[in-house]
Amino acid sequence: MSVAPEQSQAVEMHGISMHFGSLVALDNVDLSVRAGEVHALLGGNGAGKSTLLKILNGVHQQTAGDVAVFGTPFQGNSPELARAAGVAMNFQEMPLIPSLTVAQNIFLNHEFIRNGLINEAVAVERARDLFEQLNVEVDPRMLVSDLSPGQRQLTEIAKSISHDARVWILDEPSTALSVTDVERLFESIRAHTAQGNAVIYVSHRMDEIAKISDRLTILRDGRKVTTAETRAFSVSQMIEHIVGKKARDFSNLSLERKTLGAPVLELDALQDTYKLRPVSLSIREGEVVGLAGLLGSGRSSLIKLIAGVDAKASGSIRVAGKPVEFRGPADAMAEGIAHVPESRATQGIIGSHATSDNLTLSILDRISVRGLIRQQRVRALSQKQIDDFNIKVESQSTPVLNLSGGNQQKVVLGKNFGIQPKILLLDEPTAGIDIGAKTEIIDAIHSKASEGMAVLVASSELSELAVACDRFLILADGVICEDVSSDDIAAENPSGVNMVPFIQRVLEEKIQDANKTLKTESFGEKQ
Amino acid sequence: MIHFALKNWRQNIIYIGFVLIFLLFALTLNDRGFLNPNNLLNIFRQTAMIAIMAIAMTYVLSAGEIDLSVGAVAGLTTVTVALTISVAGPLAGVAVGLLTGIAVGVCNGWLTTRVGIPSFLTTLAMMGIAKGVAMWISGTSAVPILSRSFAWFFGGGSLGIVPILFFWILIFGVWGHIQLKHTGFGRRVLATGGGETAARYTGINVKNVKFQVLVVSGTAAAIAGMLYAGRLQSGRFQLGEGDELSVIAAAVLGGTSLFGGKGTVIGTIVGALMIGMINNGLILMGLEYSQQLIARGGIIILAVALSQRQ
Repeated sequence: MSVAPEQSQAVEMHGISMHFGSLVALDNVDLSVRAGEVHALLGGNGAGKSTLLKILNGVHQQTAGDVAVFGTPFQGNSPELARAAGVAMNFQEMPLIPSLTVAQNIFLNHEFIRNGLINEAVAVERARDLFEQLNVEVDPRMLVSDLSPGQRQLTEIAKSISHDARVWILDEPSTALSVTDVERLFESIRAHTAQGNAVIYVSHRMDEIAKISDRLTILRDGRKVTTAETRAFSVSQMIEHIVGKKARDFSNLSLERKTLGAPVLELDALQDTYKLRPVSLSIREGEVVGLAGLLGSGRSSLIKLIAGVDAKASGSIRVAGKPVEFRGPADAMAEGIAHVPESRATQGIIGSHATSDNLTLSILDRISVRGLIRQQRVRALSQKQIDDFNIKVESQSTPVLNLSGGNQQKVVLGKNFGIQPKILLLDEPTAGIDIGAKTEIIDAIHSKASEGMAVLVASSELSELAVACDRFLILADGVICEDVSSDDIAAENPSGVNMVPFIQRVLEEKIQDANKTLKTESFGEKQ
Repeated sequence: MIHFALKNWRQNIIYIGFVLIFLLFALTLNDRGFLNPNNLLNIFRQTAMIAIMAIAMTYVLSAGEIDLSVGAVAGLTTVTVALTISVAGPLAGVAVGLLTGIAVGVCNGWLTTRVGIPSFLTTLAMMGIAKGVAMWISGTSAVPILSRSFAWFFGGGSLGIVPILFFWILIFGVWGHIQLKHTGFGRRVLATGGGETAARYTGINVKNVKFQVLVVSGTAAAIAGMLYAGRLQSGRFQLGEGDELSVIAAAVLGGTSLFGGKGTVIGTIVGALMIGMINNGLILMGLEYSQQLIARGGIIILAVALSQRQ
């Protein structure tokens, strides 16, 4: 390719430092992204990834250092300037407006105007082009409120690249996407870079990093650790650099056998009002069961039903052999069912409130004496959870909002373990959490299970399920299609080498098979 | 300490503002009797009803709801109390007064949490209904209260030179502060307003919490109404009219968030006293009523604007 020499660098960030008051978020960091490459940016929560990207995107003004985009110096602090320079970033925290259509969301505030009126048809046409570029199918005329989570995420990406950007910054773009859609997204990323453009890819999923990126830069504690060719690293080496110590890689975890107790959670033809077909299952003491399936397969619906959040339509739940009826989450908690919900920010924490207040919200009766809350008890119980879960927090009174994602999730876990549950329900327990915290959370699941807790985990990250679970339920379209134990899958791989990736691949295939079968079935019905 | 106060000056603007306005009035209005003990006690007398309703409003706002009906409910209560006392005596009057507030609170709570009408609309409609009922049953005329014990206990009396209304503020303030900051109920209220979904997922019955705060608010409005009735020895539908604005302003001035999850009773009381002090000062300055309204509105907007986080 004949690119002018000053153009061969898509992004050149040199000596970037960023201070927030006395806090040093970035210390003399370099990032150089070549034209035509996919550059992965890695680091734990709080490593400085988002600060660096926000500088490149014009949200923050760096304290020191230079930025150039395709050879043109770029003084930050203005998202408009960044956009003009050709930089686009998807914002996870900036949700779409549910009451507007996909096209209206994508072109919000830069609508196509004709004779003073918005030209909706052009917007729909342009939105179609964008989705075509992304290789996916989303109807631009649909209301965002009617989209599946995956379609929403694709719409967010389409919105961010709608300005003909040359540098795409993709921050965790695949959390809600199916395996197929991730493949398609990767194809469009490759098509984009093949034209001499660049992509900066941020993800906590190491397998994606290994698959899509050409080079990578690793940050830790606001400093650059290294920049190198991706293929020079194994996944465990990447993790080692991110965490800064010899860390256990998922694929090396040993799968130990254990003895299971009596059934503690039994579902009999349980059904909700819309998504789930009747579900029957039984989980024993000490057992960790994984719910695997695409988004919208009913994973969360089933968890919410058992947690008492949603009302069941029919069927029954038994806890330790005793039939129970839940009118709300409080009833489920009284039966010893703890629930770590899917959305940390809205369902898990009360962000503006103190860490100790969040940790003790589930056990108000235990921190009160004769109706009055005792601060000593609040402090003692909070400190115990902070120590148990290794929550990194300045003080107990720090608002949870100021904690990193991983530590916020540990607060949610701590709050739930406060009720001393018999059954633990986890919905996407490690979404958006760095690898260090992820391992700690999976360790916590294992140790609780070995103490006899029954655990049901729903996750879109199959590697995590493969490590955590004894048994897997494959869900597709509200039906449990398969119930398979970890041992049975392991038996197909007698060498025992790379067991976790092997299980992960098997689960992936099973999910795809389940969905294929369903599709042909419903197709047959229509005929 | 000074460093802390400066660093968090926006959060403490209410206290700073209170002191500044007090000093300003003390300097400029001293010759008109602002610092006269009797005048200072008058500020308490004029503020008590607002303060009591504002303490309850702190709970309502902290839970993420609003109650616009408090002024009208206070007015309605003056009428029901006065009418009951005239036929059945003061004890029955107090019982009927409390029942008035509880009944309105239950209606507000039921419509908001079970029928699902936003509290803004529920209580706006209730404001009209309460006023209409008060006008109807009193025939729009004042109903005199002849019971001296009722008038003494509810607002008219004093212990030594300290007006009984001061004790009403004190009791409600201490009770309200402890409930909000040191009990499970208060924690549930703040959690409901701070993150309704998270609170619900944690096993808190958020509908019950909202129902309860609206009943508390209705009851507090009824007690404020009885204080109006006792102080003026009559029931009139106009009493308490427009108080909802002062009540909400007092709570917000005191640092309570209109969006829920954050509130303090102490701040609210100081906010109420500040509004009372401004009213008092403006009267002493000799402003006309029309001018008072404009000046008061301007000062409240300024104070709230300064207390907002940037």
